Amino acid sequence: MTQTTPTRAVPRRRGLWRRLRHDYAATPAAALVTLVCGTILVAIAWTLIDWAILRATFDPAAGREACRAAGGACWPVIAARWRVILFGLYPYDEQWRAALACLVVAAVILLSCLPRMWGLGRLAAIWATGTALFYLLMRGGLFGLTPVNEQQWGGLPLTLFVFVATAVIGMPMAIVLALMRRSSLPGIAIPAGLLIDAIRSLPLLSILFTCAIVLPLVLPDFLIGEKLYRVVFGAALFFAAYQAEIIRGGFQAIPRGQEEAAKALGLGWRQRLVRILLPQAFRLALPATINQFVIAFMETALIVVVGFMDLLASANTAFRTGEWTFAHVEVYAFIAAIYFAFVFGLSRYGAFLEARMDAGQQRS
Amino acid sequence: MDRTAPAIEITGLHKSYGGFQALRGIDLTVARGERVVVCGPSGSGKSTMIRCINQLEEHDSGTIRVLGTVLDGRLASLDEIRREVGMVFQQFNLFPHMTVLENCTLAPMLVRRLPRAEAEATAMRFLEKVRIPEQAQKYPAQLSGGQQQRVAIARALCMEPQIMLFDEPTSALDPEMIAEVLDVMVTLAQEGMTMVCVTHEMGFARKVADRVIFMDRGEIIEAAPPGQFFSAPQNDRTRQFLSQVLGH
Amino acid sequence: MARLLSFPGTRRQRELALQAVFLSALAALVLGAALTARERLAAQGLTSGFGFLRKATGWEINFALLPTTTADPYWWYLLSGLVNTLFMGAVGLSGAFALGLLVGLMRSGRNPAARLLGTLYVELFRNLPIILQLFFWYAVATALPNPRQSIEIGGALVNARGIYLPGPEIGRGIAALSALAILAGAGLAVGILAARRFRRAAPLRRQSLAALSLAAGFAVAAGLALAFRDPATPWITHPRAEGLRITGGWRIQPEFYALALTIITYGAAYVGEIVRGGLKAVPRGQIEAAAALGLTAWQRFSRVTMPLAFRAMLPMLANQSVWLMKATTLGIAVGFSDFFMVVAGSINHSGQTLELIGILMAGFLAINLTLAALMNRLDRALSLEGSSMRPRR
Ligand SMILES: Nc1ncnc2c1ncn2[C@@H]1O[C@H](COP(=O)(O)OP(=O)(O)O)[C@@H](O)[C@H]1O
Ligand SMILES: [Mg+2]
Repeated sequence: MTQTTPTRAVPRRRGLWRRLRHDYAATPAAALVTLVCGTILVAIAWTLIDWAILRATFDPAAGREACRAAGGACWPVIAARWRVILFGLYPYDEQWRAALACLVVAAVILLSCLPRMWGLGRLAAIWATGTALFYLLMRGGLFGLTPVNEQQWGGLPLTLFVFVATAVIGMPMAIVLALMRRSSLPGIAIPAGLLIDAIRSLPLLSILFTCAIVLPLVLPDFLIGEKLYRVVFGAALFFAAYQAEIIRGGFQAIPRGQEEAAKALGLGWRQRLVRILLPQAFRLALPATINQFVIAFMETALIVVVGFMDLLASANTAFRTGEWTFAHVEVYAFIAAIYFAFVFGLSRYGAFLEARMDAGQQRS
Repeated sequence: MDRTAPAIEITGLHKSYGGFQALRGIDLTVARGERVVVCGPSGSGKSTMIRCINQLEEHDSGTIRVLGTVLDGRLASLDEIRREVGMVFQQFNLFPHMTVLENCTLAPMLVRRLPRAEAEATAMRFLEKVRIPEQAQKYPAQLSGGQQQRVAIARALCMEPQIMLFDEPTSALDPEMIAEVLDVMVTLAQEGMTMVCVTHEMGFARKVADRVIFMDRGEIIEAAPPGQFFSAPQNDRTRQFLSQVLGH
Repeated sequence: MARLLSFPGTRRQRELALQAVFLSALAALVLGAALTARERLAAQGLTSGFGFLRKATGWEINFALLPTTTADPYWWYLLSGLVNTLFMGAVGLSGAFALGLLVGLMRSGRNPAARLLGTLYVELFRNLPIILQLFFWYAVATALPNPRQSIEIGGALVNARGIYLPGPEIGRGIAALSALAILAGAGLAVGILAARRFRRAAPLRRQSLAALSLAAGFAVAAGLALAFRDPATPWITHPRAEGLRITGGWRIQPEFYALALTIITYGAAYVGEIVRGGLKAVPRGQIEAAAALGLTAWQRFSRVTMPLAFRAMLPMLANQSVWLMKATTLGIAVGFSDFFMVVAGSINHSGQTLELIGILMAGFLAINLTLAALMNRLDRALSLEGSSMRPRR
C-alpha cells in the first residue's frame, strides 16, 4: 500500500477533541463501551437523585401515607428512629454517654493515624486509655454515672466497642502468635502454626458461635463471664490469626542482614526483637495491617447472628416494627453511610500510607 | 509497499512526555541494507526514537515513513509495519509462559498465519542461526542471559522482517555473554539486513556500521561513517561522550 | 533488668525445658477443658458420642437440594447442609469470578467511562459489611409484592416468596445431580486448559476439547432433567398464580438468591481488584514485545497478558475462594440452610454441642483443604518452569 500524499506532515494536533476521541472512541468497539457504560452511569445517577432528593419526603413530621404519595425516599423514618438505630436499647436518658463514648473511639482512631504517635508505647497508651474511658462511660457505676448492663448496650457504641476490643486484645495475641510461629523450637512453632491455620480455615461466624455456646461448657465458672466478652474474645482470636500471618510476612520481608548485624553488635534476643525487628516488621506490614483493621471493623457486623443489638441489628428493629415497615432501604442507606464513611476513610488512609512508603523506598 | 523507497525516512520528529521534550526534531533516512548505530548519553532519546519507528510510542509531530508507508496512527499501517520491522529489547522480553520454540512460532502463526509445521521449521532454522537449536523445548528462565537474547533475536527474525531494531541488546548482559550476542548481530549485518542499533559497543560500530549517529537531549548531534566518527568527531559533546565510553 | 531466664544448663537444655513447659501447659489446658465439659454434660444428663447422628431429626429445614423429610436422621441433614453449602459456593464463586473479571478489565482499561463505573462498583461493594448487603437484598426480595400481585417477566413470576422460572418438573435430587454434571464438565474444561500434558497440543484443539467437555456436562444435565421429569407433566411447565399459591415451574427462594447475589456482588469487588493487580503485574516489556512482533490487541491480550496475569493472580484467587466459601455461613442470618445453619439447628435440637462443633470444623477443614489442593494443582500445572513470576504483593 502506497501513501502518495504525505498527510500529517504538519504537527499533529493534541487538541481537546482529539484527546476525547482517543480516550472515548478510538475504535468502534471502544465507542460502544463508552456508550454502554455512560448510559449505565447516567441511569444510576438519575435514579439516585430522583429517589433520594427529587421525589423524596424530607418533612420530619410526614408519615407513611405522605411518603407513599411522593414515591421517593422517606427520610422522616430517620428523624423518627435515629436514636434507636444509633444507640439501640441503651437507656434513653443516658444516651449522651453513649454518644460521648463513640467520640472517644473516633478520637483514638484519629490519633493513631498520626505518624508521630507510632511508637509501641504511645499506641498502647492511647488505646488503653481510650478503652478504659469508653468502658467507664458505657458501663457507668463510678463518678455518679448510673450503671448500664452490657446487655443493654447497642447500636454504634456496641459496634465500636467490639471493634476496639478486638483490636486491643487481638494485636498483642497476634504478635505473640507470630513470634511463636517464627520460633526455631518446633515444640512452640508447630502448635502455634496449627492453631493459626485451623482458625484461618474456619468461618468467623462458627468461631463466634462456638465462643457464645461452647465456651461455657468447657470453662470453669469464674471464667465464663458475659457472652459479650466471650464473643469479643472469639473475634480477637480470629483477628489475631490473620494479623499474625501479616506480621510474619513483615518479618520475612526484613533483609537477612538486619538480624545478623544486630547479633554481630551483641544485642540480645529481646533487644533485637524490640529495637530492630519489630519496628521494621510493623512498618513493612503496615498497609496489610490497616487492611486487616478495615476487615475487622466490617466483620463486627456479624455479631448480629449471635444475638447482639449492634448497629446493623438496631437498624433492623428500626423498620421491622410499627409504621415504618416499608422503609428498609432508607434505614439501610443511613447505616451504610456510617459504615462506608469509616471503612472508606480508613482504606484511603491505608492507600495513602502505602504510596508514601513506596515513594520512601524509591528514594533510598 | 514501495519497493524503491528508503527503509526508514524520518522528518521533523517531535515527542514529549507531559511537558518534557524527549525528541526535538529528528531527521534521519536509513537506506535499504544500511546499518546504523545510534549512541548517546542515557536519557538522550535513543530508545524513544527507535520505539517510534515501530510505534511502540506514538509521536506528536513529524513524519515517519517505513518502507514507504506513512505511520499516521491508522491501525492498518501499524499492523503492516510491525510485521516488517523486528525489534530486540534490552530486557529480552521473552514470554516466560512459552517454550523457546513457542516464543518463536507465536507471531508467524498468529500474524503471518503460517501452519504450525512450517512455523516450527522456520523457527528451528533461525535457532540454528543463533546457535541454540538444542534449547528449543526449554523455558526462557532456564537459559542464561546471552542465550535468552539470542532467542529474542531469533524470535524477531522468524517474522522474516526487512528491518531490525536493537535497543541496547547487550546492556543487560554479563561481559562474557556480550560477545556471543554481538557475533550473531555481526552475521546478520553481513547478510545485508537493514539494522538500526542502539548500542555503546563501539567495536561493533567500527566493524559493521555504515553510519554512526550521536544523539543528545533529543537531537541528532552528529552522523558520520565510523572511521570519521571515531577519528575526527566534529562536535564537542560527541568528543566528550566518546572519551567517556572509550575510556580515554 | 534481671534476666528472667537465668537457666543453669546449656542453650540446648534451656530450649528443651522451654518447649516442655509450654507443651505441658497446653496439654493441661486441653485436659482441664475436657474434664469440665464432661462434668457439665453429665450434670445435664447428656451422653456424648456420635450415636445421635442416626436418630430422626423431627424438625424441618427450609432449603435442601437433597430430598429431606423430618423423619431423616441427623447425618442426612448434615450431608444435605453440606451439599447446600457446596452448591451455594459453586454458584457464588463462578458468579463472582465472572463478574469480577469484567470489573477488573473495566478498571484496567483506558476508557474513562468504564473505569469510573468499575471504580464506583468496587468502592461501593467492598466498603460495606457483607452481612449488611445480605440483609439489604433479603429485605428487598421479601418486600416484593405478594404472590397475588406477582410481577411477570418473560414467563417468570417474581414475588415476595421467590422467583418462579419456567422449567421441566423434576425432583430436587435430579436437579442437584444435573448441577453436579455441569460443574464436573466445567472443572474438566479448566483441567484440560491447564494440564501440562495438553500444553503441546495445538491451542485450537485444546480449546475445542475443553468446550466439548463443558458441552458434555450440559448435555448430561439436560438428559438427566428430561429423563427423570414427571412424565405426566408437559415438557416445560410455566409458573401460574392460583390465588396465593403458585404452581408449576422452578422456585428460587429469596433466601437462596439473596445470599447468592450478595456473595457474587461482594466477591466480584475483591476479584475485580485481584484481576486488576494481576494485569498490572505483567511487565510492560512483555506486551511491547508482543506488539513489536505484530500481534493484534486481542492476540496480545489473550496470548500474553492474560496467561501471565492469571498466573500472578492465582494465589490470591485461591485465598478469595476460601473466603467466599466461608461466606456461605451467612446463610444463617436469612435462613438459608447451609452447613453451618444445619449444625446450629442440630445443636439446638439435640444438645450434642461438642460433637456437632467438631463436625462443623471438620467439614470446613475438608472444604478448604480440597480447595487448596485444587488450586495447588492448578498452580503447579501453570507454574513457569525455572522462574517465579509473581506480582509484588
Ligand atoms: N514513558 C515515559 N514517560 C515519561 N518520560 C519518559 C518516558 N520514556 C522516556 N522518558 C524520558 O524521555 C527521555 C528519553 O528517554 P529514552 O529515549 O529512554 O533515552 P535513552 O534510551 O537514550 O536512554 C528520558 O529523559 C526519559 O526520562
Ligand atoms: Mg534506552
